[in-house]
Amino acid sequence: MEAAKTGMGSDEAKKWGRLLQQVAHDRDRAAFREIYEYFAPRIKAYAINQGIGQQADELVQEVMTSVWRSADKYVDTLASPSTWIFTITRNQRIDLLRKLGRLKAEINVETEDLWQIPTEEDTTIHSIQALAAEKHIRHSIKQLPEEQLIAVRKVYYEGKTHQEVATELNVPLGTLKGRLRLSMQKLKVMLESKDL
Amino acid sequence: MSNHHPDDITMLDYAAGTLPMAQSLAVAAHLFLCETCRTRTTQLNTLGGAVLEQSSPQQIKVQEFDRFMDGIDDESVAAKAAVPKAKNGNPLAKILPERFSDINWRQQTKEIAEYDLTKSLGLKGYRVALQKIKAGARVPEHTHKGRELTVILSGGFSDELGVYHEGDFVSRDATHQHTPTALQNEDCICLTVLDAPIRFTGPLLRWLNPLFAWR
Ligand SMILES: [Zn+2]
Repeated sequence: MEAAKTGMGSDEAKKWGRLLQQVAHDRDRAAFREIYEYFAPRIKAYAINQGIGQQADELVQEVMTSVWRSADKYVDTLASPSTWIFTITRNQRIDLLRKLGRLKAEINVETEDLWQIPTEEDTTIHSIQALAAEKHIRHSIKQLPEEQLIAVRKVYYEGKTHQEVATELNVPLGTLKGRLRLSMQKLKVMLESKDL
Repeated sequence: MSNHHPDDITMLDYAAGTLPMAQSLAVAAHLFLCETCRTRTTQLNTLGGAVLEQSSPQQIKVQEFDRFMDGIDDESVAAKAAVPKAKNGNPLAKILPERFSDINWRQQTKEIAEYDLTKSLGLKGYRVALQKIKAGARVPEHTHKGRELTVILSGGFSDELGVYHEGDFVSRDATHQHTPTALQNEDCICLTVLDAPIRFTGPLLRWLNPLFAWR
């Protein structure tokens, strides 16, 4: 149960990585089915939480199509499969919003120009560092006080503005920002990452 | 290597994909120049992956996968699905000519030139521009109604709060009243993203307001 609450461990990540490889090399549909059955329901939940429930199926479709078509671009030393799939999901959501015109932006720059997906070996990011970060963050999330975790989830997962989250939690905006800042410090998503 | 970075909350919003596009452009321009923040982004993406895993899944019908696979090889069905591209490049590359000297600068004063990107980017509610401040020149004292993000692309400037160099990311809001001065040795070129009009505060410079006013 503990594992389910805190997300997958590195064995799990390896399993998804292997399945992605089978999809990339052998166009293995059984392997892809496993990926689909785990991630599609979570992407759907993400869309609903983000307030774009009507587009949930479209988002699932777009993301899973990207995963199927570009599994060969996944680099396991750069990100875990769920991190990689998260970045694709986030970008597809931005694309959807741009299309719907909810983001006040009509830019001739592509979403991937502004939000890069960890795809090719970037020599500036040491892969060891990326993997250490994965381990570190997964561990740190477990240590977060409930109220901080809730604040982060609402901003990160539900796509809400700080004001919306503050109202929902019935705390002043400053308090919410304080919680977010504290959680970021705790998660060490800061400059000292180099010491990992 | 730059010394001034976006704060944690800005980075969180950026990685979550909720930071408005115009401001995300400033963050992306900084990331291109800052390895430290590329690493921070990697970590925040990981946070996103973990949160995605931990979410309670929504029911998906059993036959949905088969239907999905039936359509997947049909290029026309999901041809629009974006395939992630490897791009470690400059987010401004598409927007700007290769060299700053090829930019069609519009002279604002003798010492300040501007290249307005707002229209070409079509970003409503924001003003996005490149500013060129002549070496050693000073921008008239001003305050902002909203938030001003600045990424230094070349050269540097100093103001009441610090000295900034190439790659630095500077955020100023309504509580700051500042007078940036370009460093002596070279022109300072920066990307600025403004979410409300700038207001000049010096008594003699109020007339400048319409000139710099937010359009
Ligand atoms: Zn930085």
